[in-house]
Amino acid sequence: MISRLAEHCFWLSRYIERAENIARLLEVNQNWLLDFDIPVELQWKPLLIISGIHDYKGNLDKESILNFMTWDHENPCSIVSSMTQARENARVIREIISAEMWERLNYNYLWLQSNTAKDLYDNNRYELYNQIKRINQLLQGIGESTMLRTEAWEFYQFGRHLERSGQTARILDVKYHMVQSNPDISGSNIEISYWTSILKSCSGYEPFLKHANIIENQVGNAVAEFLILEESFPRSVLYCLKECLNSVTAISYQSKSKISNRTIESLKTLNAWLSNQETRQSIKIQLHAILTKIVDNVHSISDSMTSTYFDFNPDDHVLEMNEIEKINS
Amino acid sequence: MGSQTSSSNRILGIEDSSAIRQQSIFHAYKPHLNARDELIDWNGKPHPHCKTLVDSIGKLSSNEFQDKRSAADLAFVTQGITFSVYSDCRGVEKIFPFDLVPRPVEGKEWTRLDMGLKQRTKALNLFLYDVYHEQNILKDNVIPREMVESSKGFRREMIGFTPPGKQYIHIVGTDLIRNPEGEFLVLEDNCRTPSGVSYVIENRVVMKRIFPDLFKNIKVKRVEDYPQKLRDALCSVAPENSGPNPRLALLTPGPFNSAYFEHTFLAGNMGIELVMGSDLFVHNDRVYMKTTGGPKRVDVIYRRVDDEFLDPKAFRSDSMLGVPNLFNAYLKGNVTIANAIGTGVCDDKAIYLYVEDMIRYYLSEEPILKNVPTYICSKKNDLSYVLDNLEKLVVKAVNESGGYGMLMGPFSTAAQRSEFKEKIKANPRNYIAQPVVTLSACPTWTEEGLAPRHVDLRPYVVSGTDTWVLPGGLTRTALVKGSLVVNSSQGGGSKDTWVMETDV
Repeated sequence: MISRLAEHCFWLSRYIERAENIARLLEVNQNWLLDFDIPVELQWKPLLIISGIHDYKGNLDKESILNFMTWDHENPCSIVSSMTQARENARVIREIISAEMWERLNYNYLWLQSNTAKDLYDNNRYELYNQIKRINQLLQGIGESTMLRTEAWEFYQFGRHLERSGQTARILDVKYHMVQSNPDISGSNIEISYWTSILKSCSGYEPFLKHANIIENQVGNAVAEFLILEESFPRSVLYCLKECLNSVTAISYQSKSKISNRTIESLKTLNAWLSNQETRQSIKIQLHAILTKIVDNVHSISDSMTSTYFDFNPDDHVLEMNEIEKINS
Repeated sequence: MGSQTSSSNRILGIEDSSAIRQQSIFHAYKPHLNARDELIDWNGKPHPHCKTLVDSIGKLSSNEFQDKRSAADLAFVTQGITFSVYSDCRGVEKIFPFDLVPRPVEGKEWTRLDMGLKQRTKALNLFLYDVYHEQNILKDNVIPREMVESSKGFRREMIGFTPPGKQYIHIVGTDLIRNPEGEFLVLEDNCRTPSGVSYVIENRVVMKRIFPDLFKNIKVKRVEDYPQKLRDALCSVAPENSGPNPRLALLTPGPFNSAYFEHTFLAGNMGIELVMGSDLFVHNDRVYMKTTGGPKRVDVIYRRVDDEFLDPKAFRSDSMLGVPNLFNAYLKGNVTIANAIGTGVCDDKAIYLYVEDMIRYYLSEEPILKNVPTYICSKKNDLSYVLDNLEKLVVKAVNESGGYGMLMGPFSTAAQRSEFKEKIKANPRNYIAQPVVTLSACPTWTEEGLAPRHVDLRPYVVSGTDTWVLPGGLTRTALVKGSLVVNSSQGGGSKDTWVMETDV
């Protein structure tokens, strides 16, 4: 497929996934703060840090931050910005995604700009964030049953899973930043409540209880292990990265690209590192370092997709074109 | 149980509507005093071919009609069938106002239009071949040489080059108007990159969704086959060296172009790639596109980019929309470009005057479709008449389209007229003038219910090795009372055009 359009597929799904994860993040922070007395200025700052926002000048109270992260068009990390970007990407490739996907996304974009959504924000914020989460779920479902299983679909899936792996790592890292700025909160009664919220925000509470290996007093460790390494859980980092590997392998096969593929190599290396016993054991003591490494790798994998598939340089293909001409003449 | 309930509901429904039966939306409709009405005759009766249509839509009360309108608007909004107007800020989109009352065309009238359009297109294509080769029509003084050579759309670079299949104008959108006597006249030819056909198809899709029963009772010619017809036509004139399955691409200026929706629509429905200039490159005089699987050859480019922007090495060097060296690949015969480069000479509104002569000259036939009488300001006598009678005339810049750069004399202010006078005197070659034709009108929904609004008609003529005319076309409608300007960029709307399969 056209390289530029592949890039739009990739970013389309990343932005929709991002909008969903911001909604999850806002919800989790809101919930677990209900139980504890933490100074206002410390409650919401970690959320900005993990979103990569370092120049926020507004108030640090809950309403200001929620407004900033939900509605602010100037904030590239807000839900409304992510949805706008998603819709712009979709508009460019509306003949590539299915008509039903485009219509649904366009409908939801318009809904988010409407007074109905604003009213929901004022009166039932929980439901608003739920609906935002549902946009991605719906689109994935519509795509599942309407989109051709060609490269475009794989780029879409790749973007979605890559974004999710990074976002899950970020959600897990909230606590690190919370403790960094407020050492008093590392007490154990906070722990259970905090980790429960994290799991819930990732739709992982019940799956965790069914599946995970919980040793008393090590709930945090078990939750982190679950969200990073549980291969049967579709929001875990390892699950997502394995899906990325599947997608990029399919892309490489379908596009018949003759270019060596660094992305496949990086993903294999990263997945192998996550799967080894040593990494599992170091989660307990080095969680933040592990999460940082994951987020950094997600960035570099995104870059290598760009150089392999999206930035096309004719000079790399001269031999191929000479071949094509030989066959034609 | 279930069926009983629904049938009793149905009965209730009928009783309800008869109980609160409101007057038909046509009840108070008064046709325009001076214009031909496309549905209703001077006595207030529907034309014979419109009777079933008027009876069916006439059953609706104004509330029911409003509900249908909202449903149609919603369909356009959620599908994102929108356009952006250049003067608006970037990214602001509007729906193209759509009016639910269709504009019918009698079957036998259409047969005449179909023939007339094919005749005109054939002559225009022969004219293009001639002016870029022997120039017989100039040598024989049928058209003044300086008129052609001073035309902005005339491309000297094309002289001596023959496009594949000798076809220059693969897609023509001819703007027709209907005068009070009921005769269709050609207002202008669009031989460069005519737009609007996606609305023809989408309007039909929405009409079928909103009024499914209407289509059961009235047989209307299909318009939905256009993308396949265009695809076949373009394949038929692919370069000879492109093999049995030529690869087609639609070249768009990009997502910020006002017609981007149409580009995605056509590419999607033709099953071809939608590309921007930056997706293509030329290597050894062959055109390739940049794909995830490496370079792929492109044989036919359906371009929606103007001549000047196609190739920064051959034309405007500041163009970001084009493909460097594309023109060379074209001259080498390695790619078909549709429409060909240099077809703009036909769109020149001063050249338009001579199309009837072209038909006589090349085909030895009388033109089936007539032009609107036209004064050419570069002719001395015409110029003085135009300058003295501005308030009676429509003045147009010869190379503009979309309703830009024109003066509607009868509706203009003295200041506007004197401004135009200066412009015309400064550059007479750039202007033509025509008497104001009262366009035909069609019942259209307004704040006061149905009222007559002026309409035009743009049919689309598709040519490869054969020529086919889309039965119907885009009916554009002025929405302001009395206005004769129907362009979407000037606030006009559109209607579904119904070419009747058989006449009553």
